Amino acid sequence: MPLIPDRVKYRKMHRGNRAGLAMRGHKVSFGEYGLMALQRCWLDTKQIEAARVAIARNMKRHGKMWIRVFPQKSFTKKPLETRMGKGKGPLESWVAVIRPANVLFEVDGVTEAVARESLRLAATKLPIKTKFISRHHMG
Amino acid sequence: MKSVSLNAAPRALCRRAGAKALRTGGRIPATIYGRQAQPQNLEVNAKEMEDLIHHSVSENLLVDLAVKDDARPKRLALVQEVQHHPLTGKVLHVDFHEVAEDEKVTILVAVETVGDAEGVKTQGGVLEHVLFKIKVRGLPKDLPEVIAVDVTHLMIGQAIHLGEIPTPENCELVGDKHISVIAVAAPRTEEEEAAEAAAAADAVPGEVEMIKEKKEDGEEGAPPAKGAAKGAEKAAPGADKKAAPGAEQKAAPGADKKAAPAAQKKK
Repeated sequence: MPLIPDRVKYRKMHRGNRAGLAMRGHKVSFGEYGLMALQRCWLDTKQIEAARVAIARNMKRHGKMWIRVFPQKSFTKKPLETRMGKGKGPLESWVAVIRPANVLFEVDGVTEAVARESLRLAATKLPIKTKFISRHHMG
Repeated sequence: MKSVSLNAAPRALCRRAGAKALRTGGRIPATIYGRQAQPQNLEVNAKEMEDLIHHSVSENLLVDLAVKDDARPKRLALVQEVQHHPLTGKVLHVDFHEVAEDEKVTILVAVETVGDAEGVKTQGGVLEHVLFKIKVRGLPKDLPEVIAVDVTHLMIGQAIHLGEIPTPENCELVGDKHISVIAVAAPRTEEEEAAEAAAAADAVPGEVEMIKEKKEDGEEGAPPAKGAAKGAEKAAPGADKKAAPGAEQKAAPGADKKAAPAAQKKK
């Protein structure tokens, strides 16, 4: 099921900024291994879902997985062949703002080889470079 | 925990620019504090510190600090906190907690599992770490680097609680003895997954409930009962006071005059 917020106060948001490094959510907190973002992006709800499915399929119901990011930000897009003006466009999708060092997914209960392969497959679904990290060895 | 020796020097450079200058020169800013002396800013060699951390089992280290030009030749300290760069993992700053050899301290020690749980091997369960670190109290020399827990006998639905973990020598485990530290959970069945998949397929994505945005709601007309009622109340008395008499006295005759010919024309 795609991730979207249940309730929001305002539907349309400013674009905000995504400068700097992730100062929160940059450690492996729940599992043993994780996938860390090395670049910044807006991660779409579909991309998160695709990566989740890739991990789940490779782990074959073994182990446990955590999604550490949530698409809380909405973004809008003007329809094609529309003149400028006439207000902000309709809602397009929901995204998570990803900064370098954000941990995107975590897994536990599987061997390191399985975790590496699962997270590699997940990384192929993402629009940014990532790296595999473990709880005990940073860097 | 065995103590390892580490060289340090008093630090004059401080704040952001000072710390940056130190790091570019291959040094790491550090600080030492404790009950026995005033806090002091220190600097240590980056390579020496990183080697120390990477060669130890955990970041719980007991060091014999040899501070340059200090009255005491050795200062026993625990590594209280190590700050890492979020992306590269390089050590940015180290906190040393000065301790006395004969004084008990409490630290967080990592829990490590030994062996494969029976419930995971034979029944396909999932080993869950509920607590990754446990509070241990004891003398600095007696504190363990890690606590190894044998999980080979664990079946699905079973857990190891804090009270069941063998206590390290001359130390005590701090916390509620009934808290589970490691557990083996049942795996997800195919039926559950199928049900989830079906629910996902049925769900209609895209609709998000709004908490606010009264303007839009007001325009649509469904919930603005209060606003509309107030507006009506405000409008009504004004209309009675001003419009009603005028309408009766002035407009009525005019209306008759104007309306009558219009009616005649229509006919």
